[in-house]
Amino acid sequence: MTRADLIAVLPEALLALFALTALMWGAFGGKDRIARPLLYATAAMLALLALWIGSAGGGASTAFGGMFVNDAFARFAKVTILVAAAAVLVMGEDFLARRDLLRFEYPVLVALAVLGMMMMVSAGDLMALYMGLELQSLALYVIAAMRRDSLKSTEAGLKYFVLGALASGLLLYGASLTYGYAGTTTFAGILAAVRDSTLPLGLLFGLVFLVAGLAFKVSAVPFHMWTPDVYEGAPTPVTAFFATAPKVGAMALFARLLHDAFGPAGHDWGQIVAFLAVASMFLGAVAAIGQRDIKRLMAYSSIGHMGFALVGLAAGSATGVQAMLVYLAIYVTMNVGVFAFILSMERDGRHVTDIASLSLLARAEPTAALALLILLFSLAGVPPLVGFFAKYGVLVAAVQADMVWLALAGVIASVIGAFYYLRIVYLMYFGQEGEGLDGAMSWSQRALLVAAAAVMLVGVVNLFGIEGPAAAAAAALVR
Amino acid sequence: MDELLREYLPILVFLAVAVGLGLVLMLSAAVIAVRNPDPEKVSTYECGFNAFDDARMRFDVRFYLVSILFIIFDLEVAFLFPWAVAFGDLSATAFWSMMVFLVVLTVGFAYEWKKGALEWD
Amino acid sequence: METVILLAPLAGAIICGFGWRLIGEQAGMVIATAILFLCMLLSWIVFLGHDGETSRIVLMRFIDSGTLSTDWAIRLDRLTAIMLVVVTTVSALVHLYSFGYMAHDDNWRHGEHYRARFFAYLSFFTFAMLALVTSDNLVQMFFGWEGVGVASYLLIGFYWRKGSANAAAIKAFVVNRIGDFGFALGIFALFYLTDAVSFDVIFGAAPRLAETEIAFLWTSWNAAELIAFLLFVGAMGKSAQLFLHTWLPDAMEGPTPVSALIHAATMVTAGVFLVCRMSPVMEFAPGATAFITWIGAATAFFAATVGLVQNDIKRVIAYSTCSQLGYMFVAAGVGVYSVAMFHLFTHAFFKAMLFLGAGSVIHGMHHEQDMRNYGGLRHKLPWTFAAMLVGTLAITGVGIPLTQYGFAGFVSKDAIIESAFAAGELPVFWLLVAGAAMTSFYSWRLMFMTFWGSPRGDHHTHEHAHESPRTMLMPLAVLAAGSVLAGMVWYNSFFGKEETVKAWFGIPVAEAATDASGDAAGHAPAAEAHAGGDAVHGAAALPGEGAIYIGPDNHVLHDAHYVPAWVRAAPFVAMLLGLAVAFQFYIRRPDWPAALARNQRPLYLFLLNKWYFDEIYDFLFVRSARAIGRLLWKKGDGAVIDGSINGLAMGVVPFMTRLAARAQSGYVFHYAFAMVLGIAILVTWMTLSAGGN
Repeated sequence: MTRADLIAVLPEALLALFALTALMWGAFGGKDRIARPLLYATAAMLALLALWIGSAGGGASTAFGGMFVNDAFARFAKVTILVAAAAVLVMGEDFLARRDLLRFEYPVLVALAVLGMMMMVSAGDLMALYMGLELQSLALYVIAAMRRDSLKSTEAGLKYFVLGALASGLLLYGASLTYGYAGTTTFAGILAAVRDSTLPLGLLFGLVFLVAGLAFKVSAVPFHMWTPDVYEGAPTPVTAFFATAPKVGAMALFARLLHDAFGPAGHDWGQIVAFLAVASMFLGAVAAIGQRDIKRLMAYSSIGHMGFALVGLAAGSATGVQAMLVYLAIYVTMNVGVFAFILSMERDGRHVTDIASLSLLARAEPTAALALLILLFSLAGVPPLVGFFAKYGVLVAAVQADMVWLALAGVIASVIGAFYYLRIVYLMYFGQEGEGLDGAMSWSQRALLVAAAAVMLVGVVNLFGIEGPAAAAAAALVR
Repeated sequence: MDELLREYLPILVFLAVAVGLGLVLMLSAAVIAVRNPDPEKVSTYECGFNAFDDARMRFDVRFYLVSILFIIFDLEVAFLFPWAVAFGDLSATAFWSMMVFLVVLTVGFAYEWKKGALEWD
Repeated sequence: METVILLAPLAGAIICGFGWRLIGEQAGMVIATAILFLCMLLSWIVFLGHDGETSRIVLMRFIDSGTLSTDWAIRLDRLTAIMLVVVTTVSALVHLYSFGYMAHDDNWRHGEHYRARFFAYLSFFTFAMLALVTSDNLVQMFFGWEGVGVASYLLIGFYWRKGSANAAAIKAFVVNRIGDFGFALGIFALFYLTDAVSFDVIFGAAPRLAETEIAFLWTSWNAAELIAFLLFVGAMGKSAQLFLHTWLPDAMEGPTPVSALIHAATMVTAGVFLVCRMSPVMEFAPGATAFITWIGAATAFFAATVGLVQNDIKRVIAYSTCSQLGYMFVAAGVGVYSVAMFHLFTHAFFKAMLFLGAGSVIHGMHHEQDMRNYGGLRHKLPWTFAAMLVGTLAITGVGIPLTQYGFAGFVSKDAIIESAFAAGELPVFWLLVAGAAMTSFYSWRLMFMTFWGSPRGDHHTHEHAHESPRTMLMPLAVLAAGSVLAGMVWYNSFFGKEETVKAWFGIPVAEAATDASGDAAGHAPAAEAHAGGDAVHGAAALPGEGAIYIGPDNHVLHDAHYVPAWVRAAPFVAMLLGLAVAFQFYIRRPDWPAALARNQRPLYLFLLNKWYFDEIYDFLFVRSARAIGRLLWKKGDGAVIDGSINGLAMGVVPFMTRLAARAQSGYVFHYAFAMVLGIAILVTWMTLSAGGN
């Protein structure tokens, strides 16, 4: 264990230390009384780490014999994950506190999940991959079931756990097949094995199972079934978390595995990913139409959006990865804004999530309605909002990779998908008189909602310059 | 690749022996044993009493908790054994890695103790 | 000065059309009319002072796109000068006339403002027509061409409460589109071959076009022939020549001043103008000009036959217009462009006057248009009667035979008939003579039915028949003067000695070319621009020099002066014949027409129904087009496109949504099953596709 190895994992090590300390402090110190300061401390910690990693330049380096990779790609993904997690923590605080759900374990578990994601995006070995993935998943299983007295929450946690275990099994099976046929678990070794010859059938099987396991994490069709139920059942702040950071982590891991370990087999996995992408885009668009619950709707929305991100991945080029990263960053921003609003949906002190309750929101809350309108338009991909450029990027990448049919499918799916976003907008502005919302937004929710909407508008100028780092990240990954 | 697979040959042999032994025992019982059933013999045996209710009854969730905790520490021991066996040849990295592992485990143990997960009532 | 003439009517249209709410309706109308009279004055100054030299006045850059670059410029030469006079004079007089004619109109409800709009349309039409005739290039001409089309549409459908007016407006527009399509294709072809749209370049390239082949549709054509033909298709539409003539009679639904201005004197002659303007190209396309000649002759004959039996006073004159336009095309077709312009010029006077006179009658008879309800009106409407008489004398061609003294129509029409004979087109010649006889018949029939005999029809209407106000009679008087004099005054300029005509049109005259023998072997002394080696022909002028171009082998103008005396007398005799028959039918034995119609019923119906052109077109084009349209609408658009989109949006997508909702059962084992199924599919697929490697 050299000093260089330790320096490479210093952010992760610090986060782990922080989580353990916090756990001990909570258990022996203030119990749930310290939950609020701990939550903010965790958010601050995550933000600080984001700042640190974001400002740390440098090229690519590996640690622990290639198990841990620290390159521009990992840094980009980590910053996105950290910022998203911090934002979600802050905006959920008010919600949890008022429903007596604010336990000190929550920020600790989030921190551990983030740690797992950071490990995932830096993985350079199948074992590191699995370790990060499981650390993330286990933490998520627990917070999904955090509301123990709620049938839906426990059901969500259990479903997520059981299906997650199945997916883990698939992933492990794939990993062992890969190990068996490549003779090594390091990505570099697998890459060499793949490059040497045409893909042996065993390695191909391994690849498919690995992809299936990861597809579960990004909730790509047909491994998506858990998503709506878990999104609906989990407490809304947890849902918000599910919809943002883990998606980035899993997607980045997806890209890393496919490019770092299976890069030369791009033709093979390109087909699988394209299939997943098309299926996800269409199912996300079609199934969301029937939803009456906004959290379920956002679940299908995230399925569809992951489909679009997969389009970028399916392209198999640096442009594609860059478009995917930009897409993820924009997607996370939009979802943070939308969930900031969903967290504030309340009637008579109870959290409501049915879409009908948004009727005529524009009269009661013109600012919030306008911000939500911008976000929804952006989600639907209406130009000239930022969401349009996100979609445009991945579709262009697909066209450049001679996958015009994939781009066409994306366009059609986005047309179908626009319907349900617009229906919400319609309800907000022209809906029928009904039971509306009466809750007040907390400052953090309002700030994040408005900020996200503003980003959608202002970002049109140059997307806040994220294309440069994303291009660097993609260049680091696709060689 | 063949080299690698050859290393797994013992395992394959072990698997074959295990399966074969099990089959032999079960089949021999079926073939050799004298069968002379009567109602008393085929009824469920439970410490000399008739069965009170269905076997698929609910267990107290605390059994699960204990079993999970047991598995965690079981695995800990599984890790510790090879480490302890090779203790004399260990590098500093290996030593400290195990220390970190134990610290993490201890923190978890302290948490569950403090939370009362180990108390039955 | 020319710029003022061109743009002032546009200003008038804008002021009158948009400004009348500020300055009042009457003021707007007065301003528009005053502007037109100013234009007329300036036009006459330009016309009389013009020396035949072609000049060019650039107004602004029009289009600059790739190699297509063109100015908005005025090309001022003899053709333009003639058209300026015709357009502005008739337009100014029609403006004035409209003060009286449009004063009261039953088509409008009380308090509705329509007159300013009418005047604005008239002024706009004048602007567009001027833009057409002054244009320096084909694009600008097309702009004016479409502009007059729009104005025509607006004015035909001016009585928008009348369904028939709307239908007629649309018909005019649609039929014109067919011609315009040909015109546009011609422009495209010219641009394709010469890379230019300006007349100077095109005319310079005309000899080269004659030697170029161009692929079009299924085979290759001589470029000059094809272009000339396509341009003539445009002219056919605008000038209502046979096959594309059906819109003109229906256009009579518009107010009568409109008929006089647009559908008699100016717009419909734009086709003739186009052919004359493009004479440098036409001269190199003998096939196309032969086609023009035959279409013109056929139209002249056909329209005259239909005019024989029409009962609506305006329709008679409309068919007469159609017929006279045919004469003009014959002249242009046989190569005497000056004569075509001559007839255009004189025709503008007497035909505008006939229309305005008819309008005066209609006005006096409370918008009764059926001649069967007229009769004996010469006492009630003496001035109108006098004007109409002059017009009839002019159109039928009354004059002193074998001289150049007579009414305007006598001089110009006889020139055409003589030219047709001189060009060796005997069948055409006889068609035209027969047309002249019929022209005489139907014109006198109109006169006799309207002004002679005893009053027929509604007694009340006849009692209240009144002479029109002075604003309406003034234009009639001016036009009457033109109808009498225009032919005699400008005879030499248009149809005099060859050198006179050439000088008048600004064509450089070579000394040898004046040889009476017409032998073009003479060489131009000034051997300018003959380096190309076509000195064999020794033509004096090159295409593009002067307002019109007369090919070196074209001696029709010269020969037309040396036709036998019987040829020169033929039209006059035909006129007398027509007059005699009309007199017999409508003055001495008014019962004969009905008897004849009974005896020759099929022929009568054939003519009355205009040779069944409308019916045939309705059957061939309208119904089939409607059937196709209905098919595309109901089946194509409704069933296929709407059906698929709606089916997708309201059928398939919700179905899939329900399906997806059903799949989302909530059971973990279903979800797990989906995952396993998914991986099974993926593995199978990858195995199969990898098996191909």
